[in-house]
Amino acid sequence: MAKSNLLFIHFSSSSFSSRRRPGLLKHLSRRLSQTACEFDMACNSSGCESGGCSEREKENGSKIEESAVAGGVSQESVCVKCKCNEPMTFGDGGSDDGRFCADCFRNNVYGKFRLAVTSHAMITPSDNVLVAFSGGSSSRVALQFVHDLQIKALKNFEASRDRSLPVFGVGVAFVDESGAYPALSTEMDDAVAWIRSTVSSLSKDLHVVPIESVFGSDSVEARDRLVKLLESVSDETGKEDLVLHLRMLSLQKVASENGYNRLVVGSCTSRIASHVLTATVKGRGYSLSADIQHVDARWKVPIVFPLRDCVWQEITRFCQLDSLKTMELARHPQSGINELVSTFVALLQEENPSRECTIVRTAAKLTPFHFNKIPETDDSNVPMATQRRLKKFNLKYDGSMTTEAFCPICNGPLNGSDSSDFNTFEEECNESDALYAACCSSCRFQILPQDRSSLERFGSFLPHQILSHQKKVNSQAYLREKIKDCLILDNDGEEAV
Amino acid sequence: MQLTLEFGGGLELLCDSVKIHKVNVDLPDESHILTMKDLLKWVRTNLIKERPEMFIKGDTVRPGVLVLVNDCDWELSGQLETTLEEKDVVVFISTLHGG
Amino acid sequence: MEAGEAKSKKAGGPRLCCICNLRRPVLKRPKTLQQICRECFYEVFEEEIHQVIVKNHLFKSGERVAIGASGGKDSTVLAYVLSELNKRHSYGLDLFLLSIDEGITGYRDDSLETVKRNEVQYGLPLQIVSYKDLYGWTMDDIVKMIGLKNNCTFCGVFRRQALDRGAALLKVDKIVTGHNADDIAETVLLNILRGDIARLSRCTSITTGEDGPIPRYYFSTECIYSPNAYRGFAREFIKDLERLRPKAILDIIKSGEDFRIATTTKMPEQGTCERCGYISSQKWCKACVLLEGLNRGLPKMGIGRSRAGDVNGDLHNKNESKSGPTVKSIESRKQCGSLDF
Repeated sequence: MAKSNLLFIHFSSSSFSSRRRPGLLKHLSRRLSQTACEFDMACNSSGCESGGCSEREKENGSKIEESAVAGGVSQESVCVKCKCNEPMTFGDGGSDDGRFCADCFRNNVYGKFRLAVTSHAMITPSDNVLVAFSGGSSSRVALQFVHDLQIKALKNFEASRDRSLPVFGVGVAFVDESGAYPALSTEMDDAVAWIRSTVSSLSKDLHVVPIESVFGSDSVEARDRLVKLLESVSDETGKEDLVLHLRMLSLQKVASENGYNRLVVGSCTSRIASHVLTATVKGRGYSLSADIQHVDARWKVPIVFPLRDCVWQEITRFCQLDSLKTMELARHPQSGINELVSTFVALLQEENPSRECTIVRTAAKLTPFHFNKIPETDDSNVPMATQRRLKKFNLKYDGSMTTEAFCPICNGPLNGSDSSDFNTFEEECNESDALYAACCSSCRFQILPQDRSSLERFGSFLPHQILSHQKKVNSQAYLREKIKDCLILDNDGEEAV
Repeated sequence: MQLTLEFGGGLELLCDSVKIHKVNVDLPDESHILTMKDLLKWVRTNLIKERPEMFIKGDTVRPGVLVLVNDCDWELSGQLETTLEEKDVVVFISTLHGG
Repeated sequence: MEAGEAKSKKAGGPRLCCICNLRRPVLKRPKTLQQICRECFYEVFEEEIHQVIVKNHLFKSGERVAIGASGGKDSTVLAYVLSELNKRHSYGLDLFLLSIDEGITGYRDDSLETVKRNEVQYGLPLQIVSYKDLYGWTMDDIVKMIGLKNNCTFCGVFRRQALDRGAALLKVDKIVTGHNADDIAETVLLNILRGDIARLSRCTSITTGEDGPIPRYYFSTECIYSPNAYRGFAREFIKDLERLRPKAILDIIKSGEDFRIATTTKMPEQGTCERCGYISSQKWCKACVLLEGLNRGLPKMGIGRSRAGDVNGDLHNKNESKSGPTVKSIESRKQCGSLDF
């Protein structure tokens, strides 16, 4: 078969990485068992050191000199962490270039991952986790780390006498988006072959699913519906976002059909920073705080983001250092708002290397939703350390467990102002009105077609999950409207917060 | 071609603080019409004395600069493709600075 | 042939104003993408502002209201619209123009002329307050003393108080300023970019400072010196956005209004300055700290985080210390030319 020239497989060729790679796992697990707590310490300081979150100082201009001096010291080649090994130089002028030695750098990145996992109870021994894998650097690193964690758990399991703690399972899912972006189809066979070979050493269970699988099992009909659905969306940004939502639905479908109870998504700080701005620009200020936490359990299978605190530069360097191969599909290029925001964030990042961190930190101060944590499970399964951590971090949540209504398209929690149309909504009205009434204002604008007949067509092509969800929202709203007068207005107080 | 060009909202600072320029613009070679595209090029070389990036971005005006051709927003007349005629009045207003 | 085509193009094609269907359109409203004529634009624009005023109960009959007038586009439009609406809808307001003269040679002169024209045009009494009168220093004096670097700190801090003091002179109940949607969208973005959650929670609210001396409705400050790099990026980003999706600017503001910000997020404690009585989270307000520095010949005093602390720290040591260190950074991270609330 002719090799497609659209498939890029990056073999990183840094000089020390080739001899490092085979030993990494052994190395990491050895380090892990030696000093588990060291990672936390490393991370507490590193959260700001490697990410370069020294923004305030820089903005005030008062500490610039100091950091320049620090940079000068590290030029004299000692790792700033262990103070003995030679630091790595990437020569890309990045913020932590020439600061850490290879070991400390790895520990630092893995430490952030591990801290996120343990402090938010992302993965517990009885879990069965599905890693969403796109082939890109972030999901590649996420998969590697989850695998490393599993290896370590296996070792502990074998070493323990009673073998009481089970070891969590790991599966991998890849969503084939060529149904949405036909340009991908020429390279998809090669891509899937590459993924199979890459994943084979890391997990037994690989699920490759076409994105149209959410439309039903008949692949021809499903693809047809997908194409028609996307055709009826006129806004380019809206189309892109709709594909993202469908991809999440596909992942959820794979996860729940195959008995997984966690979905690991490798979004890094940089990706989340872009999301903060795109969401703001799209008028999604209310639901934003739901999307950017470590845990998002509004889905049937809760999603966890263990790389949320790692920046893109660290991730790619990690891949480079450990020769983790990645694959970039020649995706449909981003356009519209999403592209504009990415360019803007890249520009800001160039101007100040800690900007992405600051953006995410700002957004993290917004109040999360009650579903932004792993739902209470049987406590006996959660290790004591994790329980302590959860307590220690005392994460603030919206305590009230109000039954939130969600937009059927994007699954964003609906704001009071979104549902204002419910007041005029009657159960008897037609389907497209019902769809319109159930969606958030952002989806109404950028995804739903504006004229009635197109909206009807659009509605008829939507996957069943979305439609049934929509019916639920409508009936909830209807009920709410009916019993409104009997309710004590505790809701208002909460929304004013 | 005789044109009146007006710069406002701070843009006049880029051309010696003169707001109104009565100018004579030659038609581009091998052409008998003058478009806004041509005019922008002409303004860039002949009128703007400093910081051209405050006025031009790429081949059009910087976002935030309002352009009126005979008191009518150029968005309605085809932006860069707008053809100019003798004695037209073109106004550039920056909305980027100050309130 | 070509000329004919050009003519029809210029006339906006065969299309007529979307609203009156009579006259030729002169602009496309970014907000609605409607092509409308001059007359209809004035009409909808004024009507919208009227609706905002009515909906938000901005004014009560008989109130004295100062319009923060910089001589720029926004405040000129504001002065016109407000005096027009006041007559048309009988708000019963006493309107004044309030301008600030920073004392920058060749910078304010022009705009003050504009304000003076507005005074005549709309028959509104004008009050100009100058830094020189209020503080004894013009910006030119200050720049002479401290150089170009950091002078915006002075300008910004002094201007905030100057408006309030001018308002006190005029004995007005409210100050109105001409911030437009772009300004507010930009402020939302900047507050995200610089991690200022306290400001983020306040910046979209239509009225601010109700606990201060005088409620003030938006005021904008402008500065031609040393803008922050990312401020420039943000402004251009917003304009690019508007080009791509005009609604985005209003969406940013909507986001800003909808952000879930807990009331428990630390806000600086508000007290009053022991020296001048202005609202301050510290013993002395920032303006007094800066002034003290100028008058003592130590102009660096009050600039930057640590130093701002030092001055007040000094005071605390002499007296008793009261406020925590967290408050300082909020005051001092104020950006040059930023919208201060």
